[in-house]
Amino acid sequence: MRRFFQRHVSQIALSPSLALIAIFLYGFIGYTVAVSTTTSKAFPRFDNFVGLEQYWRLFHTPRWHVAFTNMFLFGGLFLLVTISLGLIIAILIDQRIRAESFFRSIVMYPMAMSFVVTGIIWQWLLNPTLGIEVMVHQLGFESFRLDWLTNPNTVIWALVIAAFWQGCGLVMALFLAGLRGIDEDIWKAAAVDGIPAWRVYVFIVIPMLAPVFLTVVVLLSLSIVRAFDLVVALTNGGPGVSSDLPSVFMFDMAFRRTNLGLSAASAVVMLGTVLAILIPYLYAETRERA
Amino acid sequence: MIDIRISDCNKSYGTLKVLKNIDLEIERGEFIVLLGPSGCGKSTLLHIVAGLDRLTSGTIEIGGRDVTDVEPKDRDIAMVFQSYALYPTMSVRRNMEFGLRMRGKPLSEIRPLVEEKARMLHIDHLLDRRPSQLSGGQRQRVAIGRALVRDPKVFLFDEPLSNLDAKLRASMRTEIKKLHQSLGTTAIYVTHDQLEAMTLATRMVVMKAGEIQQVGKPEEVYHRPVNLFVADFLGNPGMNFMRGQIRLDGGRVSADVGAAMLPLDGYAFAMPPSDGQAVVVGLRPESVQPATGQAPAGSEPFVLTLKPLLTEHTGSDNLVVLEMGDQEIVGKFPTDPPPKLGEPVTVGFDLSRLSVFDAATERRL
Repeated sequence: MRRFFQRHVSQIALSPSLALIAIFLYGFIGYTVAVSTTTSKAFPRFDNFVGLEQYWRLFHTPRWHVAFTNMFLFGGLFLLVTISLGLIIAILIDQRIRAESFFRSIVMYPMAMSFVVTGIIWQWLLNPTLGIEVMVHQLGFESFRLDWLTNPNTVIWALVIAAFWQGCGLVMALFLAGLRGIDEDIWKAAAVDGIPAWRVYVFIVIPMLAPVFLTVVVLLSLSIVRAFDLVVALTNGGPGVSSDLPSVFMFDMAFRRTNLGLSAASAVVMLGTVLAILIPYLYAETRERA
Repeated sequence: MIDIRISDCNKSYGTLKVLKNIDLEIERGEFIVLLGPSGCGKSTLLHIVAGLDRLTSGTIEIGGRDVTDVEPKDRDIAMVFQSYALYPTMSVRRNMEFGLRMRGKPLSEIRPLVEEKARMLHIDHLLDRRPSQLSGGQRQRVAIGRALVRDPKVFLFDEPLSNLDAKLRASMRTEIKKLHQSLGTTAIYVTHDQLEAMTLATRMVVMKAGEIQQVGKPEEVYHRPVNLFVADFLGNPGMNFMRGQIRLDGGRVSADVGAAMLPLDGYAFAMPPSDGQAVVVGLRPESVQPATGQAPAGSEPFVLTLKPLLTEHTGSDNLVVLEMGDQEIVGKFPTDPPPKLGEPVTVGFDLSRLSVFDAATERRL
């Protein structure tokens, strides 16, 4: 008995957390998949198996298409804007500027706020009756219009800007850490070689940051799929359903429209999207280690 | 012909003076080694010559041209770094080409040049690899190759061998020496390793706390250190120091170090000593050997009978700690026969190698 404990002490120590993960993570993933094959309404019921019918319905729901397309549109723009501006800000802060920690704090500060607060701040700022538009009008530019929140074609930009404002700090911090990790001597060697600074960035430093890019893309991608509170606070999916995201759709179906089956199907599709991002990343990571 | 002239160069960071009134002239083809403990300013001086650091006051000339305010790339220098500083995302070939390509030299001219230098450094089979796939020694060869293809007027080495293991360091040292002999390009080399300094330098510069202590040929600096710091810094095992006083006795000069009177008649005093002057007498361990009965050529025999306290076997020699009154000195003895501890032996001193320093000013007398 003693020998059994000695030999398996690590397994025994890990088993409670493994059990919890098995039940509450993988167990409920399985449960959700099971619910998605039923016509459950307000409560899960397993006596009416319909196979993949909920998925068929999901992909024939116009609102899901809007939400799903929005995720890629919002995601693509958000990635592009946040990564490029985050990198530029990190490069600017890396120029041994004065009061560096002051600027770093300014950029990092929005990160300390919840997405709900961010959403409300930007809702006020972009609100045509009390935000930036009113301010510019008071300055005398009466023709100025800022209707991003009310125009279905531009509302996605409102989301992108608010999400960028929140996410930029993290991206900047990661890139700055990467830039600081680059050997000073590389810069000196480049200076002696006579390579202009922008070329050093383009040909040497940015390629050296490839692992940071990977981390940033994965982190941001996950936050895109999860994005829920920001949309609820900023636009609530509107105008109409034009700024819907899959997470909002899922929540709506489950708790407002009492259509648990369809909601579960959308959750499974979201999980699939996350896995499609994560698996290549994990694969690359483990291959690098090996 | 003077290739590099450093005149009255000062560098300070705020109130901290890193370099103080450095004056140095370097002839074309010299291999100058800057040697000193960490923080002595030797790297800063090299960076200033490279143009990577601005000096607070003074001027730098390279090849007769004032380059004090010239960018590093326009100084016609190439530099090798301790951390190699290769561009990790590029192949060895591109690493070596990149500097020249940025200068707008056509690729058709660069290619053969890179191949030639790579062959010279025995890295021609590695040209298509990434730096991360190379060993430390190979990386340093690439770094040297990258400097070579530029064909600069001056090579600057910033502790290039410090990241290598002892054996590789020794072989790279020989290669750098060969390279310098075949190219004849002026070089400045920074190191804290005295062995590298002694073997590579045509002239060495010993620095301490931002000031040049001594400039000279390695053997000159080794045998005739100008002050206690240089004497102590060079040599492994370190120089023996014996505290004592000068005795002037009817035209004969000697140093009373307690256990013995060391005659200094053959010593070339830089300034006349006075009776009773407190001095430190320095003698390197290799000048303290078992008496063979005959003195080294050109010096009078001087022997003492001393008691060995401790021996350290280093492989090639026995380092023997000898009791000398209330002081201890180390002698370098042959390994055979091993001295018996506590049993007095007759020890010969090579007095032609003595260094005498003033105890107060620590300068050579």
